[in-house]
Amino acid sequence: MGKRSIIPYGPQHPVLPEPIHLDLVVEDERIIEAIPSIGFVHRGLESLITKKDYNAMVYVVERTCGICSFMHGMTYCEGIEQIMNIEVPGRAMYLRTIWGEMSRIHSHLLWLGLLADGYGFESLFYQTWRIREKVLDIFEATTGGRVIFSVNKVGGCIRDMNQDKLNMILRELDDIEKKVKEIQKTFLFDYSVQSRLKGIGILTKEQVHDLSCVGPFARASGLDMDMRYLGKDAYKDLEFHAITSNDGDCYARCEVRVREIFQSIDLIREAIGKIPDGEIDAPVKGLPNGETFMRVEQPRGEAIYYIKTSGKAFVDRLRIRTPTFANLPGLCETLKGANLADVGLLVLSIDPCISCTER
Amino acid sequence: MVDIKNPVESCEVIEAKDLLVKVLEKKKEGLRLSQICAAYTDGKYELSYSFENEENFDFVTLRVYLELEEEIPSVSEILPHAVFYENEMKELYGVNIKMINLDFENKLYRIKTKTPLLPPEERKRIEDARKSIAEAEGGIKEED
Amino acid sequence: MKAIICSLCYVIFAPLIGGLLDGLDRKISARMQGRVGPPLLQPFYDLNKLHNKQLIAVSKSQTFLMISYLLMMILTGALFYAGYDILMCFFVMSTASTFLYFAAIVTGSPYSTIGASRELIQMMAYEPAVLLACVGFYLCMGTFDVAKIINSVVSPIVYLPGFFIAFVFILTIKLRKSPFDISTSHHAHQELIKGLTTEFGAKNLALFQLTEWYEVTFLCGVVGLFIINSNPISIIGAIAVVFVVWFLEILIDNCSARVKFDLMLKISWIVTLLSAGVNLLILMINR
Repeated sequence: MGKRSIIPYGPQHPVLPEPIHLDLVVEDERIIEAIPSIGFVHRGLESLITKKDYNAMVYVVERTCGICSFMHGMTYCEGIEQIMNIEVPGRAMYLRTIWGEMSRIHSHLLWLGLLADGYGFESLFYQTWRIREKVLDIFEATTGGRVIFSVNKVGGCIRDMNQDKLNMILRELDDIEKKVKEIQKTFLFDYSVQSRLKGIGILTKEQVHDLSCVGPFARASGLDMDMRYLGKDAYKDLEFHAITSNDGDCYARCEVRVREIFQSIDLIREAIGKIPDGEIDAPVKGLPNGETFMRVEQPRGEAIYYIKTSGKAFVDRLRIRTPTFANLPGLCETLKGANLADVGLLVLSIDPCISCTER
Repeated sequence: MVDIKNPVESCEVIEAKDLLVKVLEKKKEGLRLSQICAAYTDGKYELSYSFENEENFDFVTLRVYLELEEEIPSVSEILPHAVFYENEMKELYGVNIKMINLDFENKLYRIKTKTPLLPPEERKRIEDARKSIAEAEGGIKEED
Repeated sequence: MKAIICSLCYVIFAPLIGGLLDGLDRKISARMQGRVGPPLLQPFYDLNKLHNKQLIAVSKSQTFLMISYLLMMILTGALFYAGYDILMCFFVMSTASTFLYFAAIVTGSPYSTIGASRELIQMMAYEPAVLLACVGFYLCMGTFDVAKIINSVVSPIVYLPGFFIAFVFILTIKLRKSPFDISTSHHAHQELIKGLTTEFGAKNLALFQLTEWYEVTFLCGVVGLFIINSNPISIIGAIAVVFVVWFLEILIDNCSARVKFDLMLKISWIVTLLSAGVNLLILMINR
């Protein structure tokens, strides 16, 4: 019989990208249970609705998270547009889709690098982030910002991309696709990597349903749920099927995200091919009055925005349900019975964005 | 082309005493819990329990209008992962939720001010009301 | 007389050689990863900085245990380069490792305790290959004495290829390189912060670093022992082989993830059994 000890994991730990604290009850390198504890980066962004009017809130909402920043802004704008019944022009919808899918590529590349670092493969981590730099360069060339770039506003987009920029994106994407094809061989087929990922942290489809997990974390267990099926923005014209896997372990989650990168590249190519000409924003008249639940597929999963307005310039209630908040119970479930050596990888496999979770 | 789903979004207003029954009904129908949130308007809490259908993405919200002092039972026994949402409601708005499975005791987000999202005059009113109830209970116990 | 001079050379020059090898290691790893890398003398600057830091240790006995670890490792190398019994050298090295284990345990931190127990598992993984190497030398040369082994007519590797392969394999474990750097490693460890050396700071970490350099010089000497024979030119051959083996370790480090301890045990025992075991059988049959 081994001795039980409680190991404090985080909030400062080399493998954790963001501060989350787990109290792990451990017996001989096997975890009996894990008690999560957050609250280290709570900024109270939702209470700023009393100080910033509904237009300025776009900037606040974009700063919920650095990695999914564009999609947060996009979701909020779409929510207000739905309340005010604003018809966003087609070109703006396509631009949003293009930037959104590039955000997804950026987020997944970042995650792949962190995963490689998580199992001790530093050179792979550096190579992956070098590819990510190319995506950040595209962002800077088209929007002016690398990580947090404000191109969304209620009614459409602030900036346009002319045909030269779109062609530049296509060229860079070819290069990125080639490089990701090279590193995907190591991520998916290397022996030492597979020994760390296969069979770890398995969640069945029933467990995913009971715990309401979202995003690639849930799709790796066979759940075919992706908010891009709702057909908003340009998705109604694009060829899209959600990528799922049936294994439900860490390797499946890695595989789903790698294939989503390739799918995003194809979606961007298709969108650039079909983008219509025209205006990029619609005029906004009056003040919002009503409420809505807006659901969007962010890189980490489904995000739900609850916006409640009542005819004033200030929003009454803004509630952001981020994907990591929904995946936390799934994380605690995978940790039961896991090996101590796998804790870092299991925490990484939900793609934790604790600053999103706590806002 | 993409297999577009056209979900139905609906909102159902229910009483606080019917909450557990309705939540159990939704769970038995096979819906998953999407989110629980609280809002404050006109001196009352507005709780929204949202459920989602995994097949056709229908979105059903149960709306409960609650007085500021009214108690409401926790759904964490039926839906264990609701603890995070309910702790957040309790901490940010001071909603009086009883019998949460894993109660963080207002330390989920470790915020210094109590119930930060309520307007200040309401905050004070609730504090005083709760203090007087606690004193009344303490007084009855002493008499025993 | 010659033995004492060799030992003294080892005691004085091994830190310099070990430090230079460490600096070269970091530079080559950085270039493999597409970075520029630190200056070549960086390990010496680090050691100097560590000396100047204030020591905050949980228990005062940690410094005593680390100094014992250092002295036992110096004794190991000194015995080896003086030409004495190679089996004795490895036993002294195992004793040194127990001092390291106690130095990590005495703090009571969960990370260093788990790192220390992983260090013991590492010892279980590499001891068979190490002991079989000594047995191989005895069967082939008829003696454990290093001084006599280096005077043989034919290089020992001709008779001991399997033992050489097994020894080079477990060198990855001893040098703390991926895929077998499970107890502590040269960069921030992703599971156990820094594993075994989590609670070492300032002076104690400097002693750990210094002992690692002595250990590396000793192990490279053992690898060279497989090649050296009575011909003085074989010394150049030995140094060349040592460099090739050391470069191979860096390459493997940069191309693999860290494995878990059960896989490490399995792989190292299988390799030891297959290469060293088969070689042992052949030697015994030929006797």
